[in-house]
Amino acid sequence: MRIDALDRSNLNSPFRRFLKIILRDNAGLFGALLFVALVGLAVMAPHVAPHDPLQQRLGISRLPPAWQEGGSWEYPLGTDNLGRDMLSRIIYGTRVSLTVGFVGVLIASSLGLILGMIAGYVGGRTDSIIMGVSNLFLAIPYLLLVVVIASVLGRSLVNVILIFGFTNAPLFVRITRGEVLRIRKSGYVESAVAIGASQRRILIHHILPNLVGPLLTVATFEMSGMIFYEAGLGFLGLSVPPNIPSWGNMLSAGRQYIQFSPWIAAFPGLAIVVTSLSMNLLGDWLRDVLDPKIRRSAS
Amino acid sequence: MLRIRLTGLAIAVLLVVSAGIVVAGGQAETPEDATKTLRVAVPTFPNSLDASIASERNSQNVAWQMFDSLVWANDENVIEPALAEDWEVSEDGTEYTFYLREGVEFHNGEPFNAEAVVYSWERGIQPEIEWSDRWARADSVEAIDEYTVRITTEEPDPLLLGVMAQHWNIVPPQYLEEVGNDGFGESPVGTGPFEFVEWAREDRIILRANEDYWREGLPKVDEVIYRPIPEASTRMAAIQTGEIDIVNRLTAEQADALEDVDGVNVVTYAVDRTFYIAFNNLTSGVDEPTEDVRVRRAMNYAVDRQAIIDSLFGGRAQLATGLMTESNLGYDQSLDPYPYDPERARELLADAGYPDGFEMDFAAPAGAYTNFEQVAQAVQGYLSEVGIETSLDIMESGRYWDLEAEKQLPPLFGDSWSERSGEALPRLRGALGGWDASFSAWSEPTIDEYLDEISVTIDQEERAELYTELHNYMYENPPFIYLYVPETFEATRDNVVDYRPRAAEDYFLMFTDIQ
Amino acid sequence: MQRYLLSRVLQSALLMVGVLILVFFIVRLTGDPASLMMPRDASPEDVEEFREAMGFNDPLHEQFFSYLKNAAVGDFGRSLHYRSAAMPLVLERFPATLQLAASALTFALIFAIPLGIIGGTRPGTMWDTLCRGIGLIGQTVPNFWLALMLIVLFSVQLGWFPSFGRDSLRSVILPTVALGFFPLGKFTRLVRASVLEIKNEDYIRTANSKGIPERRILIHHIFRNVAITLVSIIGVQFGYMLGGSIYIESIFAWPGIGRMINEAVQARDYPLVQAIAVFSAGFVVILNLMTDVAYALIDPRIRYED
Repeated sequence: MRIDALDRSNLNSPFRRFLKIILRDNAGLFGALLFVALVGLAVMAPHVAPHDPLQQRLGISRLPPAWQEGGSWEYPLGTDNLGRDMLSRIIYGTRVSLTVGFVGVLIASSLGLILGMIAGYVGGRTDSIIMGVSNLFLAIPYLLLVVVIASVLGRSLVNVILIFGFTNAPLFVRITRGEVLRIRKSGYVESAVAIGASQRRILIHHILPNLVGPLLTVATFEMSGMIFYEAGLGFLGLSVPPNIPSWGNMLSAGRQYIQFSPWIAAFPGLAIVVTSLSMNLLGDWLRDVLDPKIRRSAS
Repeated sequence: MLRIRLTGLAIAVLLVVSAGIVVAGGQAETPEDATKTLRVAVPTFPNSLDASIASERNSQNVAWQMFDSLVWANDENVIEPALAEDWEVSEDGTEYTFYLREGVEFHNGEPFNAEAVVYSWERGIQPEIEWSDRWARADSVEAIDEYTVRITTEEPDPLLLGVMAQHWNIVPPQYLEEVGNDGFGESPVGTGPFEFVEWAREDRIILRANEDYWREGLPKVDEVIYRPIPEASTRMAAIQTGEIDIVNRLTAEQADALEDVDGVNVVTYAVDRTFYIAFNNLTSGVDEPTEDVRVRRAMNYAVDRQAIIDSLFGGRAQLATGLMTESNLGYDQSLDPYPYDPERARELLADAGYPDGFEMDFAAPAGAYTNFEQVAQAVQGYLSEVGIETSLDIMESGRYWDLEAEKQLPPLFGDSWSERSGEALPRLRGALGGWDASFSAWSEPTIDEYLDEISVTIDQEERAELYTELHNYMYENPPFIYLYVPETFEATRDNVVDYRPRAAEDYFLMFTDIQ
Repeated sequence: MQRYLLSRVLQSALLMVGVLILVFFIVRLTGDPASLMMPRDASPEDVEEFREAMGFNDPLHEQFFSYLKNAAVGDFGRSLHYRSAAMPLVLERFPATLQLAASALTFALIFAIPLGIIGGTRPGTMWDTLCRGIGLIGQTVPNFWLALMLIVLFSVQLGWFPSFGRDSLRSVILPTVALGFFPLGKFTRLVRASVLEIKNEDYIRTANSKGIPERRILIHHIFRNVAITLVSIIGVQFGYMLGGSIYIESIFAWPGIGRMINEAVQARDYPLVQAIAVFSAGFVVILNLMTDVAYALIDPRIRYED
């Protein structure tokens, strides 16, 4: 029963460190809170948004934000070129961005987890094939790959999610495999084998829990990356269809007004920065928690 | 220690190489001297500088600065002599004799003569040529003597001269044989006002004035440099900073903002395109109220099109009075657009037996044209005010056009039609040709008669009269709700004079000067 | 060393074959490459004619082998839009992209190395905060948005730099900053982390306790560690910059392959898209090979791992 004890300590200690750091790392806490707020906005969008994000009011198009001359608190962040409320569109845009990021990462990490565990655990030819294909995807400049696939498949939310899900999987495969190999070499899996634990039991009870930490960290950064790239695809007109309010689409449509109605492009840009910032802070913090070596030296 | 040095070395090498690349890549600044250079920004860059292969408007515009055709259409769209000094048309209108200008040379010194014309046509009708159908409007092209050419068509073709002016770029046979079509597209030779100097792909195209141009005193500037700038906001920045002298394809809002910028002139003009809501009397519209002309006129009165233009296009579009635009031959300036008069609309509907209106299906394409979905919604709203309730289906444009070609759209559908030949005939045929035209849902004997007559009348004035009559007939008996003619927005620095773009968005820089 | 080299070269070659295969199938993801490449309003007859001309009617394996055979000699077919061989078009445009990427990398390194070292050696100070701030901002500001802002501010308002083109040294500045901002953030973070890590290694502590002056420690150990970190990721960063150049080159009208791919995608010119994809991947693969070799030269331990 030595093994169980080891397990528990392995699960517990990061968690304890988690709590400790929450309380003393302001940046991490800030990132986490911001992220929770964004998720809240996305979920509650219909209740929070002051207007219908698609409703056009041509009479009041390109209304500046409330604090500028000519603005109105009815439309706090102003209106876009077709008189749609910027604030409501930004709020609804959270849904697109977070959906793409979340589902994309879910697909990528599940695929990566399964394939990576197979590669790491089975080894041999299976390993070579899985890693070969993964390295292949990683060899092509990422954005180029995504742009080409998106242009072939056409604009839709599902396509965007699938593209990010699949093209990001190789990264998770690589990390999972690395971790599996590392854990296999470490003592306690060998001990588990020695006392006759089944393969399945070893995978689920010993290897999987150890993967959660590193994968979570990477997932946070990758989710931030996907949100970033979704906006990038939107800018090129390759993301979700134009009638869906996504930050990328808003930026893309607003860029021609950048000189005389800068808020139309500025706010979606800001939304991307804030979201990305929150996830990066969160990711840094997770990494610190899970990699005590760097943490120690930083403090 | 060795390792450390290696590291330092590696980084040093990296930095030096990068810096080297940075410096080497920069080219010298354009020297400031007395040469008059016109810098033109275009949104897309040509795929070819051969006017017979260049695929879209911007490419065509660049290419045509270097070529001439036998004839030229002036700014009023009247055909004038160019490489042909004069021509005759046979009685039956199928045989043209062109008398060519003597002493003209291509930029490479090859002589221009009848042989060059015949060669150009024989090349032009090859299927690999993008615009081969335009060359193929002529059935044969023969050299009678060195400076006389006979061109025949199967049927009388009143648009032949217009098409020649637009598409027949005369090329030098020897040079073309040497370099082939691909090489010619990269480094063309013509007889035109400017000659080709350099094409750095996606970076610049440089043209130089043809010193021996046959039009005396032209071109006015010494050099033209085309710069491709795909991003509209960068194009706008470049005209503001004065890095560019002429810029096109701006948006209405950008044009508005540029009005206030010192040193920049905004150039705005209506393009040869009309927007409309079409009726159907072939399939879905059969036995519907819209077969009654009073209903159709009522619907033209019912829509406040000026309000739509004001709110959706910042007032920057013109009301349509028909399927013709001001730049078209025979357009009747005296016709006023239908006014917004819902009372009159209700009266007409009552006369036709629909005092309470009726219900109808309505469709419009999505994403095909600027703000057109909103236009359709506005039209729906106005129709509803006079009792006509429509259910509006906004469809993805690819599917929409498939259905339109199969005549499967509802009895009301919105679309637009552009034309580049300067005459409305192709558009009228296309939109009103009934079962014979793929995007038409309307057929009417009177209109057919006019169109048949126009298409065999060679004399330009007679044709203009027929167009005017047809324009009036279609005004009284509208097969469409006429909407608007859009404008395009361009800008020049204020020292640019005589930049004269035309309704087809084409221009000839030989007249343009810099002060 | 030779064995390591040989195996890395072999790996890279295999990878390139894989890239060729991948690119071949991406274009066929929807099943019908002909309708993908033809304009939407093309008639069914035109599409059929095109399909025949491009060989899309041949059995898939035949298409694949003729594609591989041609690719082996650098022939990626003809660009549909430009009507000339695709690969020479890419090669013609590549120097501009290389110039921009190299100058963006240089820009990033010049600022990131001192910033990261200062931040890493003095954690918790104002300098460190600045260093971390730049690291974060660099990674969170979209480059296309930054590019638009730079034009408005530095070209239109201040008139310091040209708004577009590749004419003079001055016209390199704005695109360089826009493209280099992301790697600047990335490098700053990496350098800082690498300095922090090495500071805590035992031998540095020993050196510290033995009273060796800090400057010497910095030069000997920290700088070397930073260099190893940076060299190892430059290949990957270059790939990122090829992607970022799609935006930067389009916005600044920079005549490189980033802009070309944007236009090729819009024009549905997939032979050209294929050529660009294969070429860029090939470039990154070779770059990675070179950095691995350089890496192995700098730090001989590396090649025995893996």
